[in-house]
Amino acid sequence: MATMLKEVDAVCIGVGFTGSILARELTKAGLKVVGLERGPNRTSRDDFALPNVRDDLKYAVRQELFQDTQTETVTLRHSTPETALPIRRLGSFLPGTGVGGAGAHWNGVTWRLLESDHNLRTHLESRYGKTAVAAEMTIADFPQSYTDLEPYYDRFEKLCGISGKAGNLRGQKIEGGNVFEGPRQNEYPNKPLALTLAGSLMQKAARDLGYHAFPAPAANMSAAYTNPEGLTLGACEYCGHCERFGCEANAKSSPQSTILPVLLQDKNFELRTYAYVKELVYDKQAKKVKAVRYVDTRSGEEFEQPAQLVLLGAYVFNNVLLMRTAGIGEQYDPATGKGTIGKNYCYQVSGNAVTVFFEDKEVNPFMAAGAHGMNIDDFNGDNFDHAGLGFFGGAWISCGSSNGRPILTRPVPAGTPRWGREWKKATAKWYNHAVNIGASGCNYAHRENYLDLDPTYKDALGRPLVRMTYNFRDNDKKMALYIAGVLDKLATAMKPTIQGKASSRTGDYNVVPYQSTHNTGGTMTGTDPQSSVVNRYCQAWGADNLFVMGASLFPQNASYNPTGLVGALAYYAAEAITTKYVKNPGPLVPA
Amino acid sequence: MRARSFLIIGGLGTALAGNPVAAADANHGKALYQACVACHSEKPEAIGPSLKGVVGRKAAALEDFRYSAPMRRANLTWDEANLRAYILDPQATVKGNRMPFGGLRDPGDVDDVVAYLKTLQ
Repeated sequence: MATMLKEVDAVCIGVGFTGSILARELTKAGLKVVGLERGPNRTSRDDFALPNVRDDLKYAVRQELFQDTQTETVTLRHSTPETALPIRRLGSFLPGTGVGGAGAHWNGVTWRLLESDHNLRTHLESRYGKTAVAAEMTIADFPQSYTDLEPYYDRFEKLCGISGKAGNLRGQKIEGGNVFEGPRQNEYPNKPLALTLAGSLMQKAARDLGYHAFPAPAANMSAAYTNPEGLTLGACEYCGHCERFGCEANAKSSPQSTILPVLLQDKNFELRTYAYVKELVYDKQAKKVKAVRYVDTRSGEEFEQPAQLVLLGAYVFNNVLLMRTAGIGEQYDPATGKGTIGKNYCYQVSGNAVTVFFEDKEVNPFMAAGAHGMNIDDFNGDNFDHAGLGFFGGAWISCGSSNGRPILTRPVPAGTPRWGREWKKATAKWYNHAVNIGASGCNYAHRENYLDLDPTYKDALGRPLVRMTYNFRDNDKKMALYIAGVLDKLATAMKPTIQGKASSRTGDYNVVPYQSTHNTGGTMTGTDPQSSVVNRYCQAWGADNLFVMGASLFPQNASYNPTGLVGALAYYAAEAITTKYVKNPGPLVPA
Repeated sequence: MRARSFLIIGGLGTALAGNPVAAADANHGKALYQACVACHSEKPEAIGPSLKGVVGRKAAALEDFRYSAPMRRANLTWDEANLRAYILDPQATVKGNRMPFGGLRDPGDVDDVVAYLKTLQ
């Protein structure tokens, strides 16, 4: 029997970036907010300090900071006739757990989507014709246009002190920045990270080929920065321990470095760790979530926390699980196309990469920051003509290094044995002479890619696991092949000593190699309850006091890492809650 | 190590531009010190120890900060000369200490930061 707690104004499920942003905005507006975090508390001072944090084996290989698959995981199958099996060891993606969530151990790549990514379906149909988008490609517009979200992208960039260079300032294109981006009102709050040798090689190759190189926008500080919350981040030391690690130098934006020290001082906020949310208590008649039931994982005790407002900021899979098990919204069915929960689940088409080797150049790959890259966007989204190509979308292409750590970074030329004396010789010879050019491709929604509940496997709390029915589709494979062609051109233009052939994913989706933690969709935002789970303010159609956060809102995945948009949507929703909903609780958009 | 220090200086580029070469300038030191504030503050969650009154203090002297063993063993007093050496090259001065900072390379900048630290009482 759950212990009944006193009602609060709002409860946040998950205290990562979105939970922290929402809690901060709501407490500032005078609301009493409780943050429920399933994992431990983590602070920069106690958990990310040298020398312990620079442990490649503990953090990168043994996955110290991520979700424990023995407690909770997802199952996977490639198509509906197959029986799904649980992912028992994380590989392809690495969901966070603990205070800060994945925001504590991300690389820090922080994008805005292209204008045409925001209204993707409308854009493609108007440029290529009404019938150009295949029926099985269930892409949709975001209900929020780029212009709607511009001030909120800006806010998140300022919170995080993003290092970068504008390529489109109020409509004025600026060479050296990303000339394909939508117009921004302000320059990036921090200048770009230092230019590396790899970056300068990329700049030159891109220029020779007529492409537009620019520094990737990074949540790694190029210089000390004080954010609007009054918190100061240090300058990045280029230690190359970002993704899978917390930052030792307070130089990577995370909830810990950008919000939590202020939020935790606020008497209106209470953080409860080891509070694992089990279910939402849903009143279907009233269309409200009345309370949240959670388990204290230290004692096994159950609590019921009633709240006026529920902010669902867990990871993509848990957002879907909690809504689905509460019966908020109807399960998506690929056979009929009806239902919305689990619909338009998308991932990321990565694995497009080429490594080039320079006998006479010292690359020093260990001098790195998570988002340290020189990029081109010439082949991203709809920045190039897709007529006759047989696919839509594209990829950002980047050259640089996010790390040169001893265990996982061992570049050797193709044909090198996988172990033994020859491998040792090759890894010693080439470690400091290898440059990687990689791409991150978009993943457009497909009718048969979706999430639902597994009929067989259960998690530690006895709930069904979320089941992924997912595979790469024709569009993805054609796009990846095309991008591989671009990578080969860039590699050749660099005139390396040894040039491999660019790889691209042409087979089935595989959960083993790390690809990206950019799982998206499942609770998509849209304009009506027939085709989406939440409205433009991220408010559930089925429960007006439930606001959903994170990449589960995306109708499809652009090539860009999702955090910039996730942050923008959190600020956008927070403003709607504090200025509209609190004054007049109810649906903010008529159904 | 040299290359890494170079990058750190690069990160402070704007603050360094137009640095006067004259006597120690505490105001310029204060500007440079902004890179230190990310860790060194009086806040409870601060990553580094408070530097209030550091000049003349024994190394590893604050009760509420978990210093590294090398720092505790260093047996240093933070007089101006030791501070200068430490800020110029932290690892050479106290080998194995856990401050994630490569050092300031310009001795003039170091003097300015020390001049500013003297004002923190």
